[in-house]
Amino acid sequence: MKRVLAIAARELDGLFRLPVGWIVAGVVFVGETLTPGQPATMRYFFVVGTWMLVPVAPAISMRLLSEEFRSGTIEPLMTAPVGDVAVVWGKYLGAVAFLLLMLAPTLVFVVVIWGASDRMPDLGPIVGGYLGLVLVGMVYLAVGTLTSTLTSSQTLSFLGTLIVLVLALLLSELALARVGPDLAAVLVELSIPARMRAFAKGVVDLRDVVALASASVLLVTVAAVSLESRRWR
Amino acid sequence: MIVVREISKSYGKVRAVRSVSFEVGTGRIAGLLGPNGAGKTTTIRMITGTLTPDAGSISVAGYDVGRAPTRARGQIGYLPESAPLYPELTPAGYLDHRGRLFGMPRAERRKAAERVIDRCALGPMRARRIGALSKGYRQRVGLAAALLHDPPVLVLDEPTNGLDPSQIRETRSLIRELAEDRTMLLCTHILPEVERTCDRVIVIGSGRVLADGTPAELTERSPGQQRYLIEARTNPSAGVEPVLATLRSLSGLHDVQPDDAQPDDAASGWSRVVVTANPDAPDLREPIAGAAADAGLFVRELTRERQTLESLFVRLVDQARERTDAETGS
Repeated sequence: MKRVLAIAARELDGLFRLPVGWIVAGVVFVGETLTPGQPATMRYFFVVGTWMLVPVAPAISMRLLSEEFRSGTIEPLMTAPVGDVAVVWGKYLGAVAFLLLMLAPTLVFVVVIWGASDRMPDLGPIVGGYLGLVLVGMVYLAVGTLTSTLTSSQTLSFLGTLIVLVLALLLSELALARVGPDLAAVLVELSIPARMRAFAKGVVDLRDVVALASASVLLVTVAAVSLESRRWR
Repeated sequence: MIVVREISKSYGKVRAVRSVSFEVGTGRIAGLLGPNGAGKTTTIRMITGTLTPDAGSISVAGYDVGRAPTRARGQIGYLPESAPLYPELTPAGYLDHRGRLFGMPRAERRKAAERVIDRCALGPMRARRIGALSKGYRQRVGLAAALLHDPPVLVLDEPTNGLDPSQIRETRSLIRELAEDRTMLLCTHILPEVERTCDRVIVIGSGRVLADGTPAELTERSPGQQRYLIEARTNPSAGVEPVLATLRSLSGLHDVQPDDAQPDDAASGWSRVVVTANPDAPDLREPIAGAAADAGLFVRELTRERQTLESLFVRLVDQARERTDAETGS
């Protein structure tokens, strides 16, 4: 576990030392802003966040392993007494930590809403929304971690993740309106925006939490298998 | 102690390593020698655990690389070719990170980092960004990282690659010092490096072990042609011909030719001649000197060149290539 944290810490440190980290953090803060004249709620903020993170997550995850492959630093890493599972989890958790730190400044909007509204804002949707946004971001980063184990090109890793995420979101949203009720019931289960809308309403369903969390775990596990398979190639 | 037993590895249809076996004991420096594409790096990667062999087994300091991979990896200090490092870190930061990967507690990490920074003379560079360091210093950071956990086995891939002559000399003496109580496998294609630093040479070509022994054993076991170099003076107008004629009259010689490079003072009658003799011929220096004296030639240089590791290496590698070509029918 200490070794997982060592890898995560280096990854987080690396993201802050590179311009890409700061750019991404800035984009999120500026893009995820509140619109004046709207009701004092953050529901819109969280729904936008689901889409906002689509290009942001791949920008964070693209270098995780791709850069190690390209620069050759993967070799000292794979010859250290650390398992491939630990390497991938360390990388992934470093990216998740960056996501959390990146979302932290948006808490200022909560303060703004608090100050602007006469009544105490409803905290349920805010807490639920943040939980949902983090869980969704974690799924995106898990997809990104997996693609970055497949290529030594950061560009390919970025584009691959972006395409997968856009297709997954668009298909589930567009198809939802066009299919019969039986298929729609299945699609809703797979749809990330549908789950996010529930979170943004303040409905924290344990099934949603488990579904998103296990999707992340599954993807990171596949990423570890993908990394390990390089030893056999 | 490294024990490699019958390991093989293929990439698709290309058989990179074919049933390679060798052992390296403690306190020994073994040089893994071979041309580019011979299977050196693949072999090293299998020993260090980056690649899994298709067949065969490897044990490092008593741990089986296949069955106890993390334990085995903990016994090895590895310097990969061209020493890949994280450019955004400082040497001190990188060493600390490596220490954490090897599960060393903070106090131990600090002490170990000081030790290797001192040993690899990295003191003045410890707080600079690795990306801003020269190639020589980066190589030293890589070596320092390999030594950090004080491993009983060291595997160094082209350790003097990209260093200047004085750095090469320093690195070689460091390698000698380090090998005293360790097992060391040195991968290189620089032949003088092997002759100067290694106790033992393992020549690899076309994925096979072609020769294995001390540098002296190898050159003696398979002697090639002997070569003699003679510089003599004749009448300036006669040129090199009288020297050639005198030497050709000797028996046991294979060939006598003027050297490609003639001395600067050729105009005053000096000429350089190369004599080749069969591998089993006795020492011909005495007969050559005698014949020259009888013919009234004044000799200022007479050298016998033994078979070098280089000529042996070239011959072995060529033979292996022919064999492989014959097998694949191309």
